[in-house]
Amino acid sequence: MSKSDNKQYDVIIIGAGLSGLVCGCYLAKAGMKVLVAEQHYKPGGYCTSFKRQGFIFSAAAHFLGGIKNGNLGKIFDDHNIDKIVKIKKYDPSNIIITPKYRVSFGDDLEKTIKEFQDNFPDESDNIKSFFSYLMSSDPKSTITMRTWTFKDLLDKYFTNNELKSILGFPLLGNAALPPSLTSAFIGTKIFKEFILDGGYYPVGGIHKLPEAFAERFCEYGGELRLSCPVRKITVKNNIATGIYLRDGTFLSAKYIVSNCDARQTFLKLLGKKLIGKDFADKLSTMIPSLSGFILYLGTDEHLDKLPETGVNIWVVSNDGLDLDEVFLSVKKGDYRNIAGYLLYISPDKKVILAFLPAPFKDKNYWIHNKFKLGESLMRRIEKDVIPDLTKHIKYKDAATPQTLFRYTGNYKGAAFGWACFPSQLAITDFRKPSFVRNLYMTGHWTTKGFGIPGVIYVGEDTAKMILRKEKA
Amino acid sequence: MIENSIEKEIISIASDVSGFDPEEITLDSNFYKDLEIDSIKAIEITVAIEKKYKISVRDEDVPNITTVRQAVKLVNTLLKQKDTDV
Repeated sequence: MSKSDNKQYDVIIIGAGLSGLVCGCYLAKAGMKVLVAEQHYKPGGYCTSFKRQGFIFSAAAHFLGGIKNGNLGKIFDDHNIDKIVKIKKYDPSNIIITPKYRVSFGDDLEKTIKEFQDNFPDESDNIKSFFSYLMSSDPKSTITMRTWTFKDLLDKYFTNNELKSILGFPLLGNAALPPSLTSAFIGTKIFKEFILDGGYYPVGGIHKLPEAFAERFCEYGGELRLSCPVRKITVKNNIATGIYLRDGTFLSAKYIVSNCDARQTFLKLLGKKLIGKDFADKLSTMIPSLSGFILYLGTDEHLDKLPETGVNIWVVSNDGLDLDEVFLSVKKGDYRNIAGYLLYISPDKKVILAFLPAPFKDKNYWIHNKFKLGESLMRRIEKDVIPDLTKHIKYKDAATPQTLFRYTGNYKGAAFGWACFPSQLAITDFRKPSFVRNLYMTGHWTTKGFGIPGVIYVGEDTAKMILRKEKA
Repeated sequence: MIENSIEKEIISIASDVSGFDPEEITLDSNFYKDLEIDSIKAIEITVAIEKKYKISVRDEDVPNITTVRQAVKLVNTLLKQKDTDV
């Protein structure tokens, strides 16, 4: 099938995040000669795990969504991923707890709707139409929403501020933005794929998923090089021709796919001269998403009165919270009042994870604040939902935005690529730059793929685009 | 002549977004059925057209745009309106 002439590879993919691996799988399966070059010593990007004192912690991403409501199910089937890794579904997938309310999102949509209606009887009809809107999928209706924020959408359906705040809070965790800044399209995806169809966990840890794709990729004849940083993408007559590895080795390819950070791809791997002033200016105005603070706790398993395990629990401190204010404090790194957090307790009760959106800040800031923030978050969890938590901790650590940056190279430790403002949505040059042919971006910096379901979708789509071009 | 170049430009945008070769795309290509345009790509095409011609596609126009020909017609209409607005 390959038409490439004297090139060492048909395709070189820079970065073994899920998007790069999925893209590699489709291309290698179609018979192309593919190399995936990853700077880290393990594949997965934000989907890795680490082991300390017998505890296995998901390093950043910890659950999957969008298998039934999105494209993931089909993509897993295409590569028989279920033969390598077992994926377990927990129901409900998400619970939101506020001082006055407790609502859960489950497999049974009618039951979820009923639960919301029981809590907010005045909004009963609106709740029904809102959820049926979320589940509809007409591409044309999304066009009309391209400039909308998720707040516009909530305002269209609801008047009750407490309800709007409850439905907005998961965006602070899943997009690191308040509803007033989140694109309605992305907000809708988050609800449809991460929340209403969330709660999937690869058995053994999130790292099992990229490992499964890596295994398939190699079976298809793909070559995966780990601890293999790339220094440069070479371009001749505006066509990408290959890469230089950090050790100086040149590898030629007909197509280059970058699954790494957008700024690194454009400014470092390509260089300012190649991308041109207009695009360099555009790049300098783009705003990345916030990063995250992740608390990792290993327990003695003797905790009583635990809330549900295997579920994303959103603990919100006040009803009718102003999420814009919460976002602004987080952005400044002001955690004096933690407005809420995402909590996850593993089904075996051994591991507890807690997540907060967090600003990048310099190393010194995080050296001073990592311990302090970890302690205050732990005490909050103890007060809110797990009595005596601190007496049962055997291991504790935390990741700061600096940690996320160090392991993945994502600009400012951004948790979700570019911030998902409506104005930063679906920009073609971040997907398939017009100034370099045969170069594709994949992953969460493309302005098209958000979270795990999004990056996996873009990975498949990138492969489709290359295969279409080869066929033409 | 101008219309012809708009045709070419819209085909080129549709090609960039869909991955189909420009030669495979005709005026009668249906974005959704022939070019496999899904919701995010539909937004991408709209945003690219708006940026290229400095126009804004109105909500009421959206349901009528399913083929390349219809997109070309809409761009022409909006460009003409823009001229008279100035």
